[in-house]
Amino acid sequence: MPQFFEYFLLTIFIAGLIFISHWIGQQAYTWMPPQATAEAQRVDDLFSFLTTIGAFILLGLVSMMLYSVLFYRAKPDDYSEGHPSRGNAKLEIFWTITPILLVAWIAFQNINIYKQLNILGLKQIVQFPLDAAPAEAAMVQNTPKPAAETIQVIAKQWNWRFRYPNDVINRELHLPVNESTRLNLQAEEVIHGFYIPEFRLRQDAIPGRDIAIVVTPIRTGKYRLQDAEFSGTYFALMQADVYVESREAYERWLARVAQQPIELVDAAVAEQSRSPRTLLKTGWYTGLSDSASVADSLSPKDGGNS
Amino acid sequence: MTRSPSTSPHNDESPINLERIRQKFPRWLRRFLPSGGGSHEDHHGKGMFGFTIFLLSESIVFLSFFFTYAVLRLTTPNWLPAGISGPEPSTFVIINTVILLSSSLVIQLAERSLNHHHLKQFRWLWLLTALMGTYFLIGQGIEWSQLHFGLRTGLLGATFYILTGFHGLHVLSGVILQVIMLVRSFIRGNYNQGHFGVSATTLFWHFVDGIWVILFSLLYLW
Amino acid sequence: MTHSSNEGATNPLEPERSNQQFNWRYYLHFSTDHKVIGVQYMVTTFTFFLIGGLLAMLIRGELVTPELNLVDRPLYNALFTLHGTVMIFLWIIPFNAGLANYLVPLMIGARDMAFPLLNALSFWLIPPAGILLISSFLLPNGPAQTGWWSYPPMSLQFPPGQPINGQLFWIISLILLGISSIMGAVNFVTTIVWLRAPGMTFFRMPVFVWSVLSAQLLQLINLPSLTGALILLMFDLSLGTNIFKPLEGGDPVIYQHLFWFYSHPAVYIMALPAFGIFAEVLPAFARNPLFGYRSLALASLGIALVSIFVWVHHMFASATPDWMRVLFAITSMLVAIPTGVKAFGWTATIWKGKLHLDTPMLFAMGGAAMFLFGGITGVMLAANSFDLHVNNTYFVVGHFHYIVFNTITMAIFAAIYFWFPKITGRMFAEGWGKLHFWLTFIGANLTFFPMHPLGLQGMVRRVASYPSEYQGWNIIASLGGFLLGVSVLPFIANAIGSILDGPRATDNPWEATGLEWTTSSPPPRDNFAEIPQVIFPPYNYGNPRAYGEDSATQSGEEVSSHNE
Ligand code: HEA
Ligand code: HEA
Ligand code: CUA
Ligand SMILES: [Cu+2]
Repeated sequence: MPQFFEYFLLTIFIAGLIFISHWIGQQAYTWMPPQATAEAQRVDDLFSFLTTIGAFILLGLVSMMLYSVLFYRAKPDDYSEGHPSRGNAKLEIFWTITPILLVAWIAFQNINIYKQLNILGLKQIVQFPLDAAPAEAAMVQNTPKPAAETIQVIAKQWNWRFRYPNDVINRELHLPVNESTRLNLQAEEVIHGFYIPEFRLRQDAIPGRDIAIVVTPIRTGKYRLQDAEFSGTYFALMQADVYVESREAYERWLARVAQQPIELVDAAVAEQSRSPRTLLKTGWYTGLSDSASVADSLSPKDGGNS
Repeated sequence: MTRSPSTSPHNDESPINLERIRQKFPRWLRRFLPSGGGSHEDHHGKGMFGFTIFLLSESIVFLSFFFTYAVLRLTTPNWLPAGISGPEPSTFVIINTVILLSSSLVIQLAERSLNHHHLKQFRWLWLLTALMGTYFLIGQGIEWSQLHFGLRTGLLGATFYILTGFHGLHVLSGVILQVIMLVRSFIRGNYNQGHFGVSATTLFWHFVDGIWVILFSLLYLW
Repeated sequence: MTHSSNEGATNPLEPERSNQQFNWRYYLHFSTDHKVIGVQYMVTTFTFFLIGGLLAMLIRGELVTPELNLVDRPLYNALFTLHGTVMIFLWIIPFNAGLANYLVPLMIGARDMAFPLLNALSFWLIPPAGILLISSFLLPNGPAQTGWWSYPPMSLQFPPGQPINGQLFWIISLILLGISSIMGAVNFVTTIVWLRAPGMTFFRMPVFVWSVLSAQLLQLINLPSLTGALILLMFDLSLGTNIFKPLEGGDPVIYQHLFWFYSHPAVYIMALPAFGIFAEVLPAFARNPLFGYRSLALASLGIALVSIFVWVHHMFASATPDWMRVLFAITSMLVAIPTGVKAFGWTATIWKGKLHLDTPMLFAMGGAAMFLFGGITGVMLAANSFDLHVNNTYFVVGHFHYIVFNTITMAIFAAIYFWFPKITGRMFAEGWGKLHFWLTFIGANLTFFPMHPLGLQGMVRRVASYPSEYQGWNIIASLGGFLLGVSVLPFIANAIGSILDGPRATDNPWEATGLEWTTSSPPPRDNFAEIPQVIFPPYNYGNPRAYGEDSATQSGEEVSSHNE
């Protein structure tokens, strides 16, 4: 019974596919950076799910193509027809419905996880100042959930600064672990992007707009905040160190920098004054032109109380 | 709207006989001269089709401006900078608008006369349209010069001048097209085989008027 | 002076040309012949591909090491800005226009495009626009350096007090290219709607024509919004208005919407013709009719339709409210449905065929397979919760290069090889073609696969220097990139050599169906001695003489109802 045999082979093929793609989906977790927030776990779950489905579709179709290449070759001068079928309504309906179901499933998972993400500050980031409400009021309005701390993140070309509750301004971001911290993102001249890979979190800061996100880190350690929205010449250098630490360590650090500000070199300014040797040099406008700006970004008010 | 013209030639006494002039030129030069009379094929249908989809596409540029204007206006708390009054629908502007909109009727009548082979009537009506368009442009210029704000007066100025300016450019193109078609009507036999150019200009003119209605509502009435 | 309908044939402006000769000098003239224009487009845009590729080589060269050592930062930023702009607006989009120019009239049995003069004008706008763009390298402060999106307010920051600057050149060049595209789109749509030969009903058009129709409709609907955005940007840049300047009351996010309202559909404007190429090449070398012709044809329109409503997926991390993120995530995923119909159709076409693995087929199959990969990462990106992790990282760069290079550029090579005999009247050298394929296929995967792990690990794009932990994958990507650079050499050698000295091609060397194969190679000025009367469905591979002379004895309609 060739019919039966074909179905048998097909079943084995699909079972094998499911097995392999499931395995690949499990591997997906290891391709990601460490999970430093609760949200990160959820995003990784979604990614693993997407990878499983993706691998299933990709391997299924590619192995069919490969099978054809291996076993359905024509003899060199045989230009006769392969098979006369121009289509098959049932089959076509089947492969329209299947993606619909898959897409519905993926969309469902995505929404589900997006709801749990609790990047709650993203609600109503487009504020219609129609009612001419003062910006602050609008910000309080979309306070999504009580946050223990509120830190202001100020992005400018090309450095990050953070203003802590005690009005200390510093170039390092320190966060207490297992607590929700509210980050108010502000950009000074152009759009910048707040991105910490371990947090699985990414949000643009737009000049003139108040955008807030709430993060809850669950893993202590040192991470890197990287600008992720291209912002001009020294974009690549627009990084900051992020420390997730215990409440006590956080408080201690805050008290210390309030006493004695830590000077951190601005990477862009440093590079401007001692530019690396490159094979091709243009001398084109960098945006950091005069020494005035150097002085400005190294001035003490940057690191200390204002 | 895209009525196919009848092909029966009308009594054409137009002064310019292009064929005769053409014959006076040496052969090598002749091929660079425009020829009267169009082609025997029916270019009208596909020409009008192409032109119509072009206009639909063009309207998206306006749409993108309208979108920008609407969003900016909705999200800006004090649209009018302190001490500056916005554009008012004054009588002057309304007259201007009425002239432009009624010219749509005139151009339609003009095309109809051409369809009925009343060449003279066509020319007069056509000229009238072009004059009305020119009147609108001049009126717009006067209006511009009397406003209390400039291109750089905040969002109000920027959007107002860009929108009306872009529309004005279209009116200007329409008038230029009208002049070209008018001149061509003096070429003997030019419209014998069809008048795609005239129909397209007419359609374009209606388009420009339609845009003005939206623009007027957005800028003056909102 | 007569005004006969075949005026073009005797147009004294055009030098005489015999039918069986491909004379390259002929292609340097201003011509209104769609075939000449098509070739002019293709050759010009291929030159831009080499330029864009050269910029990519410099990018990959810089990224071999974490530190800066090949180019300085402004130059690097200019490199990827122009690389992206050139590749999209001067390579793929106009190349597709050129290919469609050559093929559409032939495929639907027309003598030329609907508006030949307009057609020539559309082409002749491209060289000046391209030269303008490239020439901005000579400006005192170089070309635009703000990425191919040129988001304000950054793109408005060019050195103050310099009215002539790279950003302005960029804007003007793009506006010109946009005008060219719109004129082309008007022409294509009119041609397809009006100039089909008798009997060439919509459902007898090859899928390539369907995909061109869908893509050009997208141009008409969406491109003007980019033009609008660019005009406003130009006012802000050069005339001091403040529409996109947030600190003066403007709103830069509007620009993002207008830009992506075009530039998302633009990716399907690029991809649809590639899908069309697969639909022509796969059946010819699998000797099977295209499986599910109707659903594939309609899927083109479906993709075009859905893709109008997905643009916000490029703005998930921007100032976009939650409802918008979720809504546009769903619409973006919907594109997978009509696209899936296409992918399944291709696979089924090959299934149980009699495969001939000639060069065009290799490129088409390689491209189709890699498209699945790029499409699936696309659906991942559409899941906004996940996209927030990889937005603006190399994961995105990897996603789209798997499509723009590994799919579309591969499809374009498939098309060049497939129609080479028709266009030039000569055969290319098969061995060189295969070499070209393998170098490209291996190089492409080496270059673009490593970008996915890099992105997942958090390497952002548009950086000339990067933390050293990312170096490993970057070295592989760069080596792959250089392999790609080498891979074009056998192609160029093959093309030039074969045009000059290849063996003569027959009218239908692949035994393919389609009207373009019924006329001579290269086709005469008016394409067909006599306008064909079409009585068969396309892809009539069971019936090789589908468009034969003694049509009365053929029974094409029977084949069409033959369902398994
Ligand atoms: C021509 C090129 C092309 C094509 C065809 C696509 C196709 C798709 N793209 Fe891609 N994309 C780009 C070019 C392209 N893209 C470019 C250039 C960018 C970046 C621009 C920039 O930032 O500079 C980008 C960026 C981009 C983003 C933004 C990422 C970010 O910036 O963070 C997103 C997000 O949704 C996305 C999604 C998709 C989707 C869902 C598809 C879908 O159309 C894919 C559909 C196809 C398939 C899914 C495979 C076949 C289907 C099946 C076999 C059916 C079954 C499958 C499933 C149910 C999953 N793309
Ligand atoms: C649309 C088509 C397209 C194509 C075909 C390509 C092709 C390639 N692209 Fe890219 N790319 C983009 C569109 C495209 N790209 C876009 C839109 C961006 C985003 C830009 C932005 O961020 O704003 C981008 C960005 C981009 C980046 C990211 C830069 C960054 O973010 O910092 C990189 C990095 O590796 C890259 C690499 C490549 C490589 C190696 C190729 C290779 O496939 C190229 C292969 C080239 C050749 C095969 C030709 C080589 C030629 C020679 C060696 C001879 C030259 C000789 C003469 C000129 C005489 N591209
Ligand atoms: Cu700094 Cu973007
Ligand atoms: Cu997109």
